[in-house]
Amino acid sequence: MLLEMKNIAVNYGKINAIRNISVAVPEGKIVTIIGGNGAGKTTTLRAMSGMLPITAGEITFEGKRIDHLPAHKVVANGIAHVPEGRRIFPDMTVEENLRTGAFLRKDKEAIEADLEDVFKRFPRLRERRTQMAKTMSGGEQQMLAIGRALMSKPRLLLMDEPSMGLAPVIVEEIAQIVEEINANGLSVVLVEQNAELALELADYAYVLETGNAAMEGPADELHGNEHVRAAYLGL
Amino acid sequence: MLDLLAQTGLNAVYAASYISLVAVGLVLIFGVMGVINFAHGELFMAGAYAIVALYAGLNVPFFLAVAAGLLFVGCLGLLMEKALFRPLKDNPLGGLVASIGFLMILQALAVMGFGVRMVHIPPVTQEVIAFSEKVRLPVARLYVIIAAIVLLSALWYFLKRTKFGWALRASAQDPEAAALQGISITQTARIAMFIGAGLAGIAGALTAPLVSVNPHMGHSVIVTAFIVIIVGGVGSLEGAIVASVAYALVHTFVTTFWDGVLADIVGLSLMLLVLIVKPTGLFGSADRA
Ligand SMILES: Nc1ncnc2c1ncn2[C@@H]1O[C@H](COP(=O)(O)OP(=O)(O)OP(=O)(O)O)[C@@H](O)[C@H]1O
Ligand SMILES: [Mg+2]
Repeated sequence: MLLEMKNIAVNYGKINAIRNISVAVPEGKIVTIIGGNGAGKTTTLRAMSGMLPITAGEITFEGKRIDHLPAHKVVANGIAHVPEGRRIFPDMTVEENLRTGAFLRKDKEAIEADLEDVFKRFPRLRERRTQMAKTMSGGEQQMLAIGRALMSKPRLLLMDEPSMGLAPVIVEEIAQIVEEINANGLSVVLVEQNAELALELADYAYVLETGNAAMEGPADELHGNEHVRAAYLGL
Repeated sequence: MLDLLAQTGLNAVYAASYISLVAVGLVLIFGVMGVINFAHGELFMAGAYAIVALYAGLNVPFFLAVAAGLLFVGCLGLLMEKALFRPLKDNPLGGLVASIGFLMILQALAVMGFGVRMVHIPPVTQEVIAFSEKVRLPVARLYVIIAAIVLLSALWYFLKRTKFGWALRASAQDPEAAALQGISITQTARIAMFIGAGLAGIAGALTAPLVSVNPHMGHSVIVTAFIVIIVGGVGSLEGAIVASVAYALVHTFVTTFWDGVLADIVGLSLMLLVLIVKPTGLFGSADRA
């Protein structure tokens, strides 16, 4: 397993946000975590990237314990996180945002090459290179957030609701990009409320309900599951 | 008349220079740390007393004493970060209250070490550049102007062109997202505190021979400081810096051409205008509030 999360619990003060959650991410796969509002998806993802302290369980990445590391050290290990709501740096240019994603890297030439790759993948970002990030549309900001994460040259990409608030065409575009970067060998954890999209993209899926693991299985199996169809796919 | 205008203009540029140094340091700290440093005026004072101790007291060459003052006050900034702001990070008013306490400690130390009276500092240079009979610029003031231009340009270059400058701006705009890029927020906080405090320190050190040095000299900075944070707290560090330099210029021009009361009124009106046009000016960018 590339990443393994075992029996994790996270509390906000006295509130128990997630309990006994286990997630395994095999190398090269897309794993999705679906669930309704407040189910604990974001909390799970933030625990993975060191943004939240866990109160039980352990997380290993490439066989190494990472659950005690602060967020900025987790990135150094090869995990990039595209946070909920994109969280680009609004008063920095598109290019500055992207280069900030490469903050920890020292390989100057490879950084330039990767920047070129990001610009190839997202031609809109090249056009807007010197524009302030806050002046971009929602879809462009999502692309910038993904581009910024790719600039750290991660081995695992965590994405929190990349489709949120975007028009269907843009969602389709983002979905294609997720497939492309995964095809290039990058493993992905995709958190989504849009279960249809998530189950279509993913190899394996976890369903969270009010902080608990409700179900898991191969994505196509869950897609056919009665409960999932009724609760998350509106079928 | 033209002479008077030119002379007043020179005075205003001088005053704006050191006020900008102080104000920019304050907005830098506010931007990155999210705390209003009430002790900022006292960091300015500490810089001035470094000159009293080293240059006036121990005959250390002036510019060496200024450099030592910058380092000393920068380190006071680091101390504040470690002892006050970091432990109180999760308490919204904690840093502010602690900085008020620190202000009092610094004042008390100054009184204990140097007494409450104004200290005389021998002039660094008596040289004056005479543009005409009535338009004259003492070289000691020119030093302050040059220092402000050089240091603020250097800071600008740092923020716009270097990786750590980007890290500082990123931390100011969204600390969590910055951490996700591998930026250590503790480290950017340290950098901001060192630079911010150091700028106040060097402003105090350079102006020490030109003003009356006393333990309460930091007070006058506080009002200006507040207005600058509110006018300048519009999200981007560079924006805040531009705002604070602009404010310092306007304020000192009005003070020198008319008077200080009117300058405060103009300053406060500007502040109100900012709050009306862009309410988020108050506490930085919208998503941070
Ligand atoms: N900072 C916080 N303080 C207290 N409780 C929180 C905090 N953040 C989240 N929670 C609670 O933890 C639970 C899980 O929240 P989380 O954000 O992980 O849900 P989610 O599955 O990502 O939901 P959504 O799809 O709406 O983003 C919710 O009950 C939420 O109210
Ligand atoms: Mg969420």
